[in-house]
Amino acid sequence: MSWRRLRTLIRREVRATLRDPFTATILVVVPLGALLVFGFVLSTSVKHLSLAVLDANGTAASRRLVAELAATGTFDPRPVSTRAELQRALVSGRASVAIVVPPDFDRALRRGAAGGGRPPEIQVLYDGGEAVLAGNAEGFLRAQLAHTGATLATTDLSRRPVPGQAGVDVVTRALFNPTLDGTRFMVSGTFGFVLSFLTTLITAVSIVNERLAGTFEQLQVTPATSLEIFLGKILPLGAVFALDVLLMALVAGFALGVWPQGNLLFFLVVSTFYVLVSLALGLLFSATSSTAAEAVQKTVVFSIPLVQLSGFAFPIRNMPAFFRWLTELFPATHYIRLSRAIYLRAEGPTALLPEIGFLVLFGAVLIVLALRSLETRA
Amino acid sequence: MSRRFWSNIAAVAWKETQVMRHDKAFIGVVLIQPVVMLVLFGFALSNKPANVPWAVLDWSQSPTSRRFVQEVMATGYFLPPRPVVGYAEGRKLLREEKALVFLAIPKSFRRDVERGRPAVQLLLDGSDPLSAARVGVYIGQVATAFETRAAPQDPPDSHMPVREPGPIETRQRFWFNPTLQDRAFFLAALGGMLLTNLCLSAMSLGLVGERETGTYEQMLALPTTAIEIVLGKLVPYVGVAYALMLMATIAAGAVFGLWPHGSWLALLVVTLPFVLASLGIGVFVSALARTSAQAVFISVFFIMPSFVLSGVMYPYQFMPHGVREIGAAFPLRWYQIASRRIIERGAGMAEVVVPMLALTVLFAVVLAGVRWRMKPRLG
Repeated sequence: MSWRRLRTLIRREVRATLRDPFTATILVVVPLGALLVFGFVLSTSVKHLSLAVLDANGTAASRRLVAELAATGTFDPRPVSTRAELQRALVSGRASVAIVVPPDFDRALRRGAAGGGRPPEIQVLYDGGEAVLAGNAEGFLRAQLAHTGATLATTDLSRRPVPGQAGVDVVTRALFNPTLDGTRFMVSGTFGFVLSFLTTLITAVSIVNERLAGTFEQLQVTPATSLEIFLGKILPLGAVFALDVLLMALVAGFALGVWPQGNLLFFLVVSTFYVLVSLALGLLFSATSSTAAEAVQKTVVFSIPLVQLSGFAFPIRNMPAFFRWLTELFPATHYIRLSRAIYLRAEGPTALLPEIGFLVLFGAVLIVLALRSLETRA
Repeated sequence: MSRRFWSNIAAVAWKETQVMRHDKAFIGVVLIQPVVMLVLFGFALSNKPANVPWAVLDWSQSPTSRRFVQEVMATGYFLPPRPVVGYAEGRKLLREEKALVFLAIPKSFRRDVERGRPAVQLLLDGSDPLSAARVGVYIGQVATAFETRAAPQDPPDSHMPVREPGPIETRQRFWFNPTLQDRAFFLAALGGMLLTNLCLSAMSLGLVGERETGTYEQMLALPTTAIEIVLGKLVPYVGVAYALMLMATIAAGAVFGLWPHGSWLALLVVTLPFVLASLGIGVFVSALARTSAQAVFISVFFIMPSFVLSGVMYPYQFMPHGVREIGAAFPLRWYQIASRRIIERGAGMAEVVVPMLALTVLFAVVLAGVRWRMKPRLG
């Protein structure tokens, strides 16, 4: 291994990467685009959901109930007059939730508040077709109905607390992210997404292109060893992606207001190491492909499930046992866990040692495999 | 438009079919991807909380507090709780991701229950906001329904029901998906996802590949116009796309029992403008790119945002305005709306007119773009 040869190879790689304006653009635009897209899409707060209201009561009390539901901006009520119309609204997706206020709503409310008789029963219908939306809307709507009901019952009649207001008060506080803001969650995961996907793609394509142009064979007949070729390929790209991580962290901070809670330097070190692991994976993909298109297709077919199962968007604990076990074998899973721990929960190196250890182990295996694949091609 | 317009298209289509039949990589992708996606979305991925780890700090140590913990467990979303002895330990578990929820029950809980003003404290791991929000709601529902009068020292009047409900009762139902499985939500859009992948990756390579091998120039030398070449290339892929769509729909039905509730005819009709628009975008990408590597890159980075912004993974109703409107430029947005209406909610033709028109407009726009970009270029 000679430093002079390695330096030459690195200089060559940097020039080749930067000379192609398309690659340079991709390296900047894709990470930032992913950051903004993912940063904006996820929010846990339900806003302006269209709510079909079938008000069979039509009194001041029922109108008050609907007005209260609309007041917080969570629901946009749209009156319907028949059951059939309500059904059509749900089928066509014009309404995501529907409530049916019974004809005796105000009387039942008064009776119930006075302590006699059953309280009024409101029927709530969710569009289960939008499963995620319905799951989140459920909590909001129930909480609001309970709250509004309590105010209606007390203000309509007397000031004394509603009898039979059973139940336990829950004082809730969310740590690390008090507003349960989705942006932080997605931003910290986006690093994992970009570094798993873009790195693999870029290496795969760059090696296959060299092979097509014949420059790879030329490299192999020079005195450079396959370790030098490997490092000459991986180190400059690794440096570029390390810069990408820094750029993403800055844009996330300035544009989205998400700064890392933990140590940025520690995060950069962990990310850089993960980049190397990912690049080695890209090298493996390219070793088994004959055209750039094939390499990319292979990367996409393998990377999509890898990223999906890594907990980037869907929590791992929700998966069945087999997939929970399987996903522990992917380096992306461990990197995303690390980036969330550092970015959101300000975790330090000692507590994360097992995760880092796994990443190192996996990286070592991949790098050895990638080196082997370079040698067998020679 | 020349007199030989249709026969030129047919000729190009025939040639394209022959090429496709021999492309092993393409056939592999077409067959592997549906299986992978079906397994992922059918078995693995879900937003519905499960196996939630949690910690309980029970200062009360009373039958009442244990009953409360048991009722939370009975929701079925939680693993057995980890008992902790202090706040520091609970926070540590949250930080280390060993607990998503930390429930603290005060010393006076039992007495408070008897007096009618009980409260508990709930700390959530906000670093996973979607799960935290949902789990918080589940525990809140248990708490609201918790029977505070059932303590044995406080026998209720025998004629009164034991459970005293709040001022308003709600009776709720989830239509179209009673157990609220994410699986139904994802699989109803599976066809759309697969077709987006297919149309973009196959088409975008088509023209660039021909340009690289020089066969594009040969075709231009024939009496075919650029637009005839494009349309001829589209035709065989429309056939493949329909086959893939039927395969995905039938697989979802056969494996998971999710057969379309609505009209098959409407599903078949609305697929056409979607496939055409997606293929058109593939052609456009192909006209933009100079090498096939570039073409694949552009199409991959079109597919990614179209999955995210169209709402197949995550409801578009949650997205802020601006982002939501950008999503409307992706054909997948309108197709997933239509296919979810038809497959999950049993809609017919009348309910999918709007998405169908939107898809047709998108196709027209893309076609105009292709026409503008595809002026015969040599070299």
